[in-house]
Amino acid sequence: MARLILVLGLLFLWAPILLLAGYAFSADRIPFQWGGFSLRWFAALAENARVQEAALLSLSVATGAATLACLAGGLAGWALARGGRFCGRPLFGLLAGAPLVLPEVVMGLSLLLLFVLAQGAAETLLGWRLERGAGTIVLAHATLGLAYVAVLVQARLARLDPRLEEAAADLGAMPRVVFLTITLPQMVPSLVAGWLLAFTLSLDDVVLASFVSGPAGTTLPVLIFSSLRMGLTPEVNALGVVILVLVLAAVGVAGWVLRGRGGDPG
Amino acid sequence: MPLRLAFRLAFRLAFCLLLLLCGALLARPLAAQPVLNVYNWADYIDPYMVQRFQAETGIRIRYDVYDSLETLEGKLSSGRSGYDLIVPTSEPSFARLVRAGALRPLDRARIPNWANLDPGLMARVATVDPGNRFGAIYLWGTVGLGVRVDALRQLLPGARFDQLDLLLNPENAAKLARCGLAVMDSATDVLPSVLRWLGKPPDSTAAADLRAAEQALLAIRPHLRAIPGSGALLDMLARGEICVAMTYSGDVIQAAARAREAGRGVEIAYAAPASGAHLWFDLLAIPADAPNPEAAEAFIDFLLRPESMAAITGHVRYPNAVPASRPLVPEAVREDPSVYPSAESLAQAFVPGTLGPAEDRARSRLWNRFKAGR
Amino acid sequence: MRAALVAAPFLWLLALVLAPALLLGWIAFGSAAEGVPPVAPPLAWQAGALSWQGSLESFALLLEDPHYAGALLRSLLVAAGTAALALLLAYPMAFAIAEARPRWRLPLLALVLAPVWTGLMPRLGAWIGLLRDEGWINGVLLRLGLIEAPLTLLFSDIALYAGMLHSYLPYAVLPLAIALSRRDRLLEAAAADLGAAPARVFLSVTLPLSLPAAAAAFLLVFIPAAGEFVIPELLGPPGDPLLGRVIWAEFFQSRDWPLAAALALTLLAVLALPIRAYQRLGQG
Repeated sequence: MARLILVLGLLFLWAPILLLAGYAFSADRIPFQWGGFSLRWFAALAENARVQEAALLSLSVATGAATLACLAGGLAGWALARGGRFCGRPLFGLLAGAPLVLPEVVMGLSLLLLFVLAQGAAETLLGWRLERGAGTIVLAHATLGLAYVAVLVQARLARLDPRLEEAAADLGAMPRVVFLTITLPQMVPSLVAGWLLAFTLSLDDVVLASFVSGPAGTTLPVLIFSSLRMGLTPEVNALGVVILVLVLAAVGVAGWVLRGRGGDPG
Repeated sequence: MPLRLAFRLAFRLAFCLLLLLCGALLARPLAAQPVLNVYNWADYIDPYMVQRFQAETGIRIRYDVYDSLETLEGKLSSGRSGYDLIVPTSEPSFARLVRAGALRPLDRARIPNWANLDPGLMARVATVDPGNRFGAIYLWGTVGLGVRVDALRQLLPGARFDQLDLLLNPENAAKLARCGLAVMDSATDVLPSVLRWLGKPPDSTAAADLRAAEQALLAIRPHLRAIPGSGALLDMLARGEICVAMTYSGDVIQAAARAREAGRGVEIAYAAPASGAHLWFDLLAIPADAPNPEAAEAFIDFLLRPESMAAITGHVRYPNAVPASRPLVPEAVREDPSVYPSAESLAQAFVPGTLGPAEDRARSRLWNRFKAGR
Repeated sequence: MRAALVAAPFLWLLALVLAPALLLGWIAFGSAAEGVPPVAPPLAWQAGALSWQGSLESFALLLEDPHYAGALLRSLLVAAGTAALALLLAYPMAFAIAEARPRWRLPLLALVLAPVWTGLMPRLGAWIGLLRDEGWINGVLLRLGLIEAPLTLLFSDIALYAGMLHSYLPYAVLPLAIALSRRDRLLEAAAADLGAAPARVFLSVTLPLSLPAAAAAFLLVFIPAAGEFVIPELLGPPGDPLLGRVIWAEFFQSRDWPLAAALALTLLAVLALPIRAYQRLGQG
């Protein structure tokens, strides 16, 4: 029964994607109309420097943001689960979860205000003319991803029996050694999951990026969203296929490298 | 212990990465080659013009696009956008930016081609920008109806397309509902025409007039298939999903070209209301805090050359304000009356006046109610 | 060392979450004006002294005009609907993944997440292609003779929920699959040894133990869905805008930043309860 629903659910998730992938090879100018097999949209993509630039920017922003989110979010999740009592802990917990609930529109807007303020401060105090651009998008996406990573890590550590760590400490392990040999390895699966989640969120985001970006900060989703007036061309389908294949390959490699870790998603 | 070592290594690596990232974020942009940051509507230029300017001047252009005035204003109104050249529409964005002091006066000494601009059209913009200090007309157009001619021939034979009655008369709307009706999602660009159709002043702030406009819109609301952004509307028109749509002239003309290209028997035509169409202008302007205004002025001068403007109009099918460019525009576009309106329809056309913030908000709330159908 | 490790993410959150939120609150009490930015701050330096010029006008307007309450209510309904549908579908999916052989779990999870990696826009484009009048679904139904005229699917609630579910389902499967595959199977074995039928084992052991994860999955969909902007904009019905859209409109179209900020704060206040619940689950 559960398996049937898994198959149905995967079908629901994949049907539009397969359709999209299939019609990426259609010659017709109107998407989702079959006009004979053709690679013209992939060729068009290969010639479209704007799209390539944006795709490259998107992938690097997503990688940077996911990595930052993993570092900061991993620490935040650890601090919430194992940091003990410290000043401002309730506030910390609230803030770590806030990006999950802030509507993107609101978060984008408030971050924009902050960056503008920071730009002003940098110019008057340091004489620097900072630009909004890829960097601000990375910060915004990392903040969003941080919340997801923190939640995953915190949940993971909450289920980890603290006595395991206490036992190691009792046996004379330094706190750092306890962390590195016991806590961190237990965090790894949730960090990997969190990285993927943060990467995905970043790759998908239109709203945050369009708020906080500046010149030459057009990520792929923003570019497509803003060129909707050209209509959805099959080029967009081709692009979806290319990204999907790229990311799947990357995940496949990562999975293969990590396969020693027991293949346990939790 | 190899595992521990591996983790320590990974940690160091991650830390270095973090440092690098911070460094990259804080690094000041290198000022080796002059850079011009342009922010224009999507698909609103002949891309060859950008290349040519770069080749001629050695200034590198970073070209970003937006799909709605909201996006532009959102970027601009917070300040320090980083853009050197923007292309806001006269009403409401350009007018608002002028009043907010967000634009930099143009130095006409650096823009000799300013003399190419049509004084009659520039005078129309002077209502929001006295003395034309802040903006030069890039392209302009009207608001009217995009019509799917092949479908309408069967449904409403003999109907006139150059009347808003086609859409705003509830009887017609009911007949056409199945075929698909749409209004673009823009209070500022739809309400003036509706008010004019009702015989009221297009920039009226009288509560009774606005209520009448709201009633008129609500009467056709049940028959509307969609109230999309103008970009999405263009696409729907081109695919033949919409029979009558109220939107921008150039969008309809682009949709018509695309429908022809697709060759599926969808025939689209544009008609501006004969009784007087809403006229709008997109202006070349420089933000007050632009990092490189000189380059922006050089680009404006370049764009105002007749050859440049002719190429752009030929490409995007919106008329420009440089009369000397007209003979250079490809004939199919030059002779198309829906691109270049006739002299008498231009005389009939109106430019709505500026509204205060409170009136503006009242209108957008009216629009919200219309969209919700209440 | 420990202090530094706690301080680093804390500082990040203070700078990039609290500070922007405070800016938002600051603006909510201001009033709209013309300028860059288009707000008059609530506190101003006047005649050598700070003077309070803020107002509660924006909040008053929120209560006054039913448009805003309606948008909030509808947003919550759509979010709850999406989250409920996602949970109904995600639970059995996650269970099947958890029951699969260990080496199949990660690939299956990747299979669930992968559609998201095509990017939002191609994905929504696919839905538009499926749902529009000449789209695939109508084509199939017409050919089968089940309908005579194409159904209007695009810009309807069906399209909205399909798009939302498609985007959010993976986020619900992920935590559930993790929790279910990590569960203590000894308890189930014990229940089975004591003679409980498989259905009974599931209902009285597995399900109750996974409820926190299920609640977390629900909230993980519900909370962001409540503020969703792009999907309703491209697929949903034109009337009755959701709150994300209303905030966007107030911000950009009316340029009423105080009102937009007030709306955002209201949404935040309404969602405070679920987020608190979610964090409790994370700790428990």
